[in-house]
Amino acid sequence: MTQLPEDQLSAGVRALIAEAAGSDPGSVALTTIPGGASRETFLAESEGARWVLRRDPVGAQDSFAPLETEFRVVQAAAAAGVPVATGIAFEPAGGRLESAGFVMGHVEGTSVAPRVLRRDELQAARAALPAQLGEALARIHSIDAREIDGVAVSDADPALAACALWEATIDEIGEPLPGVEAGLRWLRLNPPPPPGRECLVHGDFRLGNLIVNETGLAAVIDWELCHSGDPAEDIGWLCVRSWRFGNDDLPVAGVGTLDELLAAYEAAGGDPPSTERVRWWEAMGNVKWAVICARQAHDHLTGARPSAELASLGRRISEPEWDLLELLPAASAASRPRQPGPEGTV
Amino acid sequence: MQDRPTAPELLDAMAADLYSEVREWVPRERRFRVLVLANLCAVIARELRAGEEPSREDLELFNALSDSPVEDAREAAGDLAAAIRRGDLDERLPEAIAGLREHVARKLEVARPGYAVSAGDA
Repeated sequence: MTQLPEDQLSAGVRALIAEAAGSDPGSVALTTIPGGASRETFLAESEGARWVLRRDPVGAQDSFAPLETEFRVVQAAAAAGVPVATGIAFEPAGGRLESAGFVMGHVEGTSVAPRVLRRDELQAARAALPAQLGEALARIHSIDAREIDGVAVSDADPALAACALWEATIDEIGEPLPGVEAGLRWLRLNPPPPPGRECLVHGDFRLGNLIVNETGLAAVIDWELCHSGDPAEDIGWLCVRSWRFGNDDLPVAGVGTLDELLAAYEAAGGDPPSTERVRWWEAMGNVKWAVICARQAHDHLTGARPSAELASLGRRISEPEWDLLELLPAASAASRPRQPGPEGTV
Repeated sequence: MQDRPTAPELLDAMAADLYSEVREWVPRERRFRVLVLANLCAVIARELRAGEEPSREDLELFNALSDSPVEDAREAAGDLAAAIRRGDLDERLPEAIAGLREHVARKLEVARPGYAVSAGDA
């Protein structure tokens, strides 16, 4: 973490908090919180109080949901009963935060997945998480994305749109990934029927984007990839093996079973998707993670973002690629002579 | 011929040093980077020890699924990926997927030994 000097940005944060809270918090110290994919996050501390500032990098091209949309989505999620870090104030680009940004309440806990899965003091949290995650997802999915100004909405079938998105991304990268292509082809030929209803999808729902404390789920954060889509997308993504961090026998984020998650999802008013539909989106989640690994390695190779850490992801493509092919009925069909299921079996 | 240690042996030594002592010198919040570098050394050591054989097996597999065999594994992988995308292999997709699982398992032998088992979906 890097401590920034008292400057224009911290003065801007102080003014925003004073305006929203109705009283001056005093001098505010900012510390960068590492880990954001595309947006900057800072811990803002005054005497006795903490907030979090989320801001677009100055001068960055925004390819995700605009920050103002993210602010609105977090408010809608709070209203729907999702635990979130409450938004306090939004400031558009060119204002007191230079780029667009918002200040939210600070939530104690960790979003480092291996800590959530291993630390002794989080044992009770792990037991509570499967049901809490199911409930939080049901509440997120109760939100109609079309009612929130700025959320990406498309008329295309979400499953086929996902196929097209990742095919296009592979083409942009330009590296051959025949294993991913074979999986993607199977997914394209065997899409689930269109979902009964589209809803707000978080887009990156996994332990790394959740704050967990001793009692379990404290807040769902990082809403920048939210969009309108099939609710099963979030559930499948949460089950991707890479997010289990070694707890392979517990498909839901390394903490629980799909049955536990879906029971809580239904109890909280969600309409639980079929296992086949979740499996399709889990396989698609592996496509997505494999392609993201390839793209990050490519960003190193082109010199866009030189980094040994990004370069190393080129040797991790094979993990989700393997899981993708493992999830396809066609793979077992070939080894245990059985024909792949007809269209519409998922 | 270089003197020993061989390249993989040197990488083993680098990985061991990074995993143990160097990691301790680095502030806790930056240790992940050291682990990434140590892991890369271990990956490259395995890649060097595996030699050309995995790429030869991949080339053979890709050519077997293709209409026009080529001599370079990366080129063959590109041709196969494009053929799959076009739908040329739709009739043989289960065969292609079964073969490509072996290709991915070969990559994992280098990148992450022990990973290529069934995920154990509960």
